[in-house]
Amino acid sequence: MADKIKLFVNGVEVEVEAGKNLIDAVGAVGIEIPHLCYHPALGADGNCRMCLVGIEDGRPPLVPACKTPAMAGMKVLLDAAHIKKIQHDVMELELINHPTDCPVCDQAGECKLQDYYMAFDQAESRMNVPQVVKGKKMDFGAGVVHDQERCVVCGRCVRFCRQITKTGELGIINRTDDARVNIFPGRPLSNRYAGNVVDLCPVGAMTSRDFRFKQRVWFLKKAPGICHGCAKGCNITIDHNREKYKDDIIYRFRPRLNEQVNGYFICDAGRLSYKAENEGRLTEARLGNKARPIDDVLAACTREIERAEKIALVLSPNCSLEQMAAVQALAEKLGAFLSGYSDGYIKPGDGDGYLIQDDKAANRAGLGLLGIDCSREAFESAVQQAQLLINFNNDLTRSYKESDLKKLLQGTKVIAVSSHDTPGTALADLAIPVASYSEYAGSVVNCDNILQSFAKGLSKNNDLADICAIAVQLGSPLGSPKERFALLQQSISALKDLEPDKIPAQGLNLNDSEAANVTA
Amino acid sequence: MQVKILSAKFDIKDANKIKVAKKHGAYSTLDKVFSMPPEDVIELVKNSGLRGRGGAGFPAGVKWSFLPKNTGKPVYLAVNSDESEPATFKDRYILVKDPHMMIEGIIICSYAIGSHDTYIYIRGEYTTQVKVLQAAIDEAYKAGYLGDKVAGRDFKLNVTVHRGAGAYVCGEETALLESIEGKKGQPRSKPPFPAVAGLYGCPTIINNVQSIASLPFIIAKGAEAYRAYGTEKSPGTHLFGISGHVEKPGMYELPLGLPLLEVIDKVAGGVWKGRKLKGVIPGGSSTPVLLPEEAKTVTLDYESMAAHKTMFGSGGIVVLDETVDIVHLVKNLIDFYHHESCGQCTPCREGLGWMLKIVKKILRGDGSMADVNLLRELCDNIEMKTVCVLSAACTMPVRSYLDKFRHEFEAYVAKNDSSAAEAK
Amino acid sequence: MSDRSQLISTGTPFQFDKERDAEFERLIKRYPTRESMILPALWLIQEQEGWISQEAMAYAADRIGTFASKVYEAATFYTMYHLHPMGRNHICVCRTLSCWLRGKQEIVDYLKNEIGLQPGQISDDGKFSLEEVECLGHCGTAPVVQVNGEFHENMDVDKLKSLLATLK
Repeated sequence: MADKIKLFVNGVEVEVEAGKNLIDAVGAVGIEIPHLCYHPALGADGNCRMCLVGIEDGRPPLVPACKTPAMAGMKVLLDAAHIKKIQHDVMELELINHPTDCPVCDQAGECKLQDYYMAFDQAESRMNVPQVVKGKKMDFGAGVVHDQERCVVCGRCVRFCRQITKTGELGIINRTDDARVNIFPGRPLSNRYAGNVVDLCPVGAMTSRDFRFKQRVWFLKKAPGICHGCAKGCNITIDHNREKYKDDIIYRFRPRLNEQVNGYFICDAGRLSYKAENEGRLTEARLGNKARPIDDVLAACTREIERAEKIALVLSPNCSLEQMAAVQALAEKLGAFLSGYSDGYIKPGDGDGYLIQDDKAANRAGLGLLGIDCSREAFESAVQQAQLLINFNNDLTRSYKESDLKKLLQGTKVIAVSSHDTPGTALADLAIPVASYSEYAGSVVNCDNILQSFAKGLSKNNDLADICAIAVQLGSPLGSPKERFALLQQSISALKDLEPDKIPAQGLNLNDSEAANVTA
Repeated sequence: MQVKILSAKFDIKDANKIKVAKKHGAYSTLDKVFSMPPEDVIELVKNSGLRGRGGAGFPAGVKWSFLPKNTGKPVYLAVNSDESEPATFKDRYILVKDPHMMIEGIIICSYAIGSHDTYIYIRGEYTTQVKVLQAAIDEAYKAGYLGDKVAGRDFKLNVTVHRGAGAYVCGEETALLESIEGKKGQPRSKPPFPAVAGLYGCPTIINNVQSIASLPFIIAKGAEAYRAYGTEKSPGTHLFGISGHVEKPGMYELPLGLPLLEVIDKVAGGVWKGRKLKGVIPGGSSTPVLLPEEAKTVTLDYESMAAHKTMFGSGGIVVLDETVDIVHLVKNLIDFYHHESCGQCTPCREGLGWMLKIVKKILRGDGSMADVNLLRELCDNIEMKTVCVLSAACTMPVRSYLDKFRHEFEAYVAKNDSSAAEAK
Repeated sequence: MSDRSQLISTGTPFQFDKERDAEFERLIKRYPTRESMILPALWLIQEQEGWISQEAMAYAADRIGTFASKVYEAATFYTMYHLHPMGRNHICVCRTLSCWLRGKQEIVDYLKNEIGLQPGQISDDGKFSLEEVECLGHCGTAPVVQVNGEFHENMDVDKLKSLLATLK
């Protein structure tokens, strides 16, 4: 743990972490120092001047909090009249050239200028001379749209592209109040994390072409989630809303801070992967290619299971640990071979050593921890011997060409327990729709061996069953979450002494325990 | 009143050429310098009381002693030849008339601070001056005063001229460093100070051309000889620039401490065309204006200027005669500082543009008393809230004009009111 | 300052000529980082072409090994870099304090009326371009005019007339 020091804010003693700047140190104990340009992932720049605070008996007496390390005994003045006046004055100056277009601005509702105006300014405009005119609706590439007039020139986006992605597409050009963010002509944003500049922008200058004008943010409900786009398991906020007469729909994914996993950011592919939660879903149970009531299809499944002499099971590397446990128990019960073969989920060379991984599955590490065989040979031989294959959401068309898959499955009946209506699902004889990862709770283990739990993000009008429940319906003995967790505790030693709800929010690093050595 | 210390060779033909300069004593202090331990050189400069001649007036020797020892990093010297404060035109004379005096000063300073790389940051507008300077540097290399063995000693020194390209703010020492590093000239937050983390993150000393050029004299003649000029706290001489409404504008070397009005009368020939004095800007455009009454008691040194709530600055004196339209002058000033705002800090970036538009509005005859008051209020709201003092360089003088010549602003507003009344 | 973000494309790639190439290589050895060459490289381009095109900026960035956005930032921040072609004779009139006090407006008015040039404009025949600039550091000999880098001090309309007559 970091050392603690004591200092005073407005005369009140507070204990804060040493080695941080004033914004972060004091912010951690719930006292907000207003700031626009500072961002913990990008460091202090000191240009916005909103974070100027007084230091009693200090030299100099006025300092930018972002650039000032918290020191023991420091007497920080935040609510002194002269500091409040500075906050008011700086806000006035931030706003003189800012268009008053909140009603049509996407940022409204999550805009620092709005928040700070309400907190520190609340004055009528004294700007009675023409405003500076700059560029609007500029296409910066990568789905980012820029409005130079709304921009407060804090430079977060510029620093992001220079420090984090090291692609440097953005710059602040000109000087004076003509300073503005721009791309060099012909060199637009072309990095795989560009969408983060939209989140980083404290105002409405950077908007997402994908999201803009779709929803007012105050209508959105926010649910924490884990991105299932790759093995990194970036933490996200799922912004969703159920409009009247419609289903609950996800409008965007945004990064959610997890220092241990993804920091403040996510990749663009992950950001846009919310679309797959809304679209292309399998929503009906099918017998052959005809929709049937799910109970009928489940009954048909049971008949197939009884009829088959040999059964093979395959599951997706995206399944949660709980789902894997339930399916593993089902396999044991049925005396069936269980495979996690899913090489097609891996795109060699696609990873970048930062967040993006080659492996596009969220829980391949889970397959390993539960000792589930992932080899192609074993999978194919099991399928060839089996009369029935039950596929738990593994999109085999990622690993096989459709013609090869057809050949492989010749003579084998297929039950697809599937969240999405993929070409693979279409090949199945029976199909059962299940929830996708934003609609169920579970845990996954990422590429760095960090186990993360996530809650159910949203409920659809017709809520689909979790794979766990389907596995139970098909005969898995692990009927309750408790039983499933107990099985996980047997395989993952780090969980042994934990209650299911005690997994830390930042995730459980299995490398820190013997769990890393566990074999099934 | 005039003296010839720094300007000793200014009247000598071709003194910019090394041959001529050497004949008149250039590089003659090097034997003495290299025989002294570097600490002694710093001590000597400290004792001379030489104050930074760029505008801030910080004692040069003290600045040097802030350098941390044995950091394992190179120490850089940056010579500030950006000279861009309006009404300042002194360093240019050194660059053109006696560049070898400055190069000699660079060698002295480099030896004292243990630096082997100097960057001379010269403003881009000095197109002809940079050629003379570069030619002098080339000569110094050829003559063995620069390069791997300076004056035959085991001391390496490279001097590189780095040209600015039109940005007043690069006269601010950290903006200057940014500019050498290839960036926009945007001042850095301090701390860290350049002496600790300056150019390329290494310990760096930044001195003005005139400060550096003063060193050969101090080494040759000693601290006492330098102190023989000027006042106790403001010793030495300065290259004063006198411009504006005087009969004989120009650059004059004077000891510090002389009475301002006497200098204007006796050295610069007094207010031109027999007109009356309206005000004096004592140290460059960023210094608060003095009314004739106030100017009577001012002497040309740091202390007297401070006592009169203005600044010695760069020593650029501007004389305003009775015909000057102060509102127009304020517009001219704000126009300058707005144009030169680096655009980094919100108050300066947004505020100066706003001030400019307000003063233009008043000048157009569209202003109100509220506008005048707002202009005055903005001076307070902007000043000292920023990384550097560029905004203060605008608001300090503007405030002084608003306070001392408020009636002129009111007159513009009154004209507006009466025409508005007529229109009814 | 006015917006300088609009770059002009020549449509053809830029390259240093032999002399500038050698100068670039000489200078780069003087700095511990390649990015320090941004300002000198822009000067070399301007020396060679008279102005700095979009292609030239991209060339400088690639040659130095830095982001084009950084070169773009510098080129638009420092106002002496010309981002479009200028007249054969580029006339800069200082507009700041001492030159203003001593009659720079007469100089500008003369140029406006006689050559028909507003500050910021280039004459149709490409002979002249006019720019009002901030303090040129020649306040003791104000007003001052700089033509193609050469200073002309203590200017008045008569002197300006004879100066213009010498320009081609």
